[in-house]
Amino acid sequence: MKDISLPHLNYAALAPMLILFGVACVGVLVDAFAPRKARYPIQLVVALVGLIAAFVAVVLRAGKVTAENAITAAGAVSVDKPALFLQGTLIVLGAVALLLIGERALERGGPFVAQAAITVGSDADQRQAARESGATEVFPLTIFSLSGMLLFVAANDLLTMFVALEVFSLPLYLLCALARRRRLISQEAALKYFLLGAYASAFFLFGLALLYGFAGGITFAKINESAQNGTGNITLLYAGLALVSIGLLFKAAAVPFHVWTPDVYQGAPTPVTSLMAACTKVAAFGGLLRVLYAGFDRVHWDYSPIIAAIAVLTMLVGSILAVTQTDIKRLLAYSSIANAGYLLVGVLGNSALGLSSVMFYLVAYGFTVIAAFAVITLVRDADGEATHLSRWAGLGRRSPFYATVFTVILLSFAGIPLTSGFTSKFAVFSAAGGGDQSWLVIVGVVSSMILAFPYLRVVVMMWLSEPGEQTPSVSLPGMLTSAALVIGVVITIFVGVAPQPLLHLTSEAANFIR
Amino acid sequence: MTSALHLVAAAAAAGEVTTGEKAVFFILAPIALIGAIGMVAARNAVHSALWLVLTMLSLGVFYIVQAGPFIGMVQIIVYTGAIMMLFLFVLMLVGRDASDAVIETLRGQQAWAIVLGVGFAGLLGTGLARVVGSLKVVGLEQANADGNVQGIAALLFTKYVWVFEISSALLITAAVGAMILAHVDRSLRDGTAVMSQPERMRARFEPGSYPGPKPGPGVFATSTSIATPAKLPDGTPAQRSISPILPTRELTAAEVANKQTEGR
Amino acid sequence: MSLSPYVPIVGLFALAALFALFSVAIAPFVGPRRYNRAKLDAYECGIEPTPQPIGGGRFPVKFYLTAMLFIVFDIEIIFLYPWAVSFNQLGVFGFIEMILFIGTVFVAYAYVWRRGGLDWD
Repeated sequence: MKDISLPHLNYAALAPMLILFGVACVGVLVDAFAPRKARYPIQLVVALVGLIAAFVAVVLRAGKVTAENAITAAGAVSVDKPALFLQGTLIVLGAVALLLIGERALERGGPFVAQAAITVGSDADQRQAARESGATEVFPLTIFSLSGMLLFVAANDLLTMFVALEVFSLPLYLLCALARRRRLISQEAALKYFLLGAYASAFFLFGLALLYGFAGGITFAKINESAQNGTGNITLLYAGLALVSIGLLFKAAAVPFHVWTPDVYQGAPTPVTSLMAACTKVAAFGGLLRVLYAGFDRVHWDYSPIIAAIAVLTMLVGSILAVTQTDIKRLLAYSSIANAGYLLVGVLGNSALGLSSVMFYLVAYGFTVIAAFAVITLVRDADGEATHLSRWAGLGRRSPFYATVFTVILLSFAGIPLTSGFTSKFAVFSAAGGGDQSWLVIVGVVSSMILAFPYLRVVVMMWLSEPGEQTPSVSLPGMLTSAALVIGVVITIFVGVAPQPLLHLTSEAANFIR
Repeated sequence: MTSALHLVAAAAAAGEVTTGEKAVFFILAPIALIGAIGMVAARNAVHSALWLVLTMLSLGVFYIVQAGPFIGMVQIIVYTGAIMMLFLFVLMLVGRDASDAVIETLRGQQAWAIVLGVGFAGLLGTGLARVVGSLKVVGLEQANADGNVQGIAALLFTKYVWVFEISSALLITAAVGAMILAHVDRSLRDGTAVMSQPERMRARFEPGSYPGPKPGPGVFATSTSIATPAKLPDGTPAQRSISPILPTRELTAAEVANKQTEGR
Repeated sequence: MSLSPYVPIVGLFALAALFALFSVAIAPFVGPRRYNRAKLDAYECGIEPTPQPIGGGRFPVKFYLTAMLFIVFDIEIIFLYPWAVSFNQLGVFGFIEMILFIGTVFVAYAYVWRRGGLDWD
């Protein structure tokens, strides 16, 4: 028997994942052993400290990473510059979303249910709604999810990517089911997300098997090599790539794999929706970029038309259906679908420029969308959040400050100059234009004009309608929500006014190492 | 065991299929298909699950025959054992007579689903059939050189050691998720906090609660019926001696009348 | 014969199947018959069997929890198997990795235990 040569693990490169993973385990132990009253403060501190430590580890590593030392864990993980940039983005966005998750000032006990297993509407349910504080398991689950995302954007082979996909998806399915208010639609959202997510994972796995048949290996280097040499069966390559892409595009919420998005965004607790809208998007596109750029670079002329068709569909369906929405969370869900389309346009740039523009877009969109959901958590009445659009009429008269904040966010979504929405759209469209995809840019611009309509309608409604009896008040945010809101809005404006530092950072980082 | 694997691997490397493998395949493939069709067609959900067991067992044997004894055993232990048990419990949770909703929320959804599903399966199936015909299977012998399980161990602890460690996150999430979705803390279920023994003792003797045993019905009365309240020493009926679920009964004169024992 | 190592296993399967069939088949002939009302009931002790409730008798959700926990630790054991087989080649590194893996899954165990998931009621 031959000896097994043991792999070298570069702990400095793996540190961010290790830290988050350890912190999540500590969180579970806190839930197991700490007394009920003490859990919330301990969890919040542990989670935030863990995220800060992980971010420090990412920054430290970013100074030392080279093409030679990027790949570690026997080739399973590639902590290269794009991976580190995306990991840093994920950690910061995750921390801001965690501030919303940890908010308990807006509602007694926070936005999460205490015991999800209690039958909805039973006596016990009414008792717990009245006086129990929310489940603290949401903190370790969030951290688990984030650690899976960190691995997902750094995976160097498809199997690692698949496990990471599951590690970050499973906690999200659970988190969706834990809303304190409107528990039935929250549970429905979780079930839908879980079932469709399981199908998407199955597609990914099937594609992985076919690609193994094509290349005789599942690392991106091996697939790339086989595609370059023309060895292996080309049908397996196409079928495998198609199936793997379905799994990834599902997470990215691209049409026609988007059907879960509106229901899940609406049903999930709003802080979790913000986590999904920001971080899942980053992870999904990070994974998609790595698969397409590092693994299938050689066949990019073959997949480009299909991805382009999906991008067009995504932009148009997302923006047109956004016009018909009457619920603010569903409106943002369709807007998130349309934004996935713009990101796909950037992906098709297929160059370092495409990569950097998509990363730029992800940062800009992530912070804006978290700020948007932060405002949504504030607009509430006795029954919880008032998400129906008609309820937002006249909000500008009642609370001008938050209406102004939300207007800034919506203008950024609409892509008005001097906001991050404009600079990021400009970045992806110019990358696509450089990649000979000018017609996509035209569709993109048309779609953003359609999409501007529902945003501006909300703005008009907020400012030009008289507040009625139904208009809810805006709750005074707690410290955590305020912090999230300030971070989101400041970055939205800063990236819009002075995009150079971020552009510099993304173009520095734009080089995948297989 | 390893020698058998070597032979199978050698045969596969040579592009041949042994007679034994053929025989197993042609016996079990129809059984696996029948199980799959039975699972879809069975009206009773429990029968459906049992059909699925048949298919999974056949697949397990296929894996073993194709020189993958480990995955074959995992298929049988984890899927046929644990996961099917979970299926059955979930079915019993829903109620085994619960049937599918027959109303289509989206018009024509079933027809479209069947057309697209069959189309997709056809596309993928024909594509794969064409590919597999020309495919040369290589590398099985090297992979199983030290034995199948040893080969898996070598991969698990070198190339995929990081993934292996991270997969424990999945297991933790699964356990925590099952607890969150299915377990209710006792204190919240009953609506009262769990009390310590001294607290319980104090509560028992608090004003308003009655620490002693309650009088039994009919004991001091002129009846043996459990729906007749007991009488307290002063002759008044003790309502707490009757179980609250019993309907109130009109008492006869004989029952209301005091026994001759009082006052002597 | 390439599948020769499996012959004893097949033999054992056959023996087990024969035993089960034999037991079931022989019981009506050799078993004692003392019929009475209680014997013909669905249960021989406890409360009177009543008609099944609507929905055909549903299980409490606790069974699901137990099954789920069983799967979690079942999968953990599946990973133990290749490690145990290759223990000598893997040496200290494999041992440490396995301890880490078991330790982290033990976190789940601690959580379930402390939260009362192992109590039946």
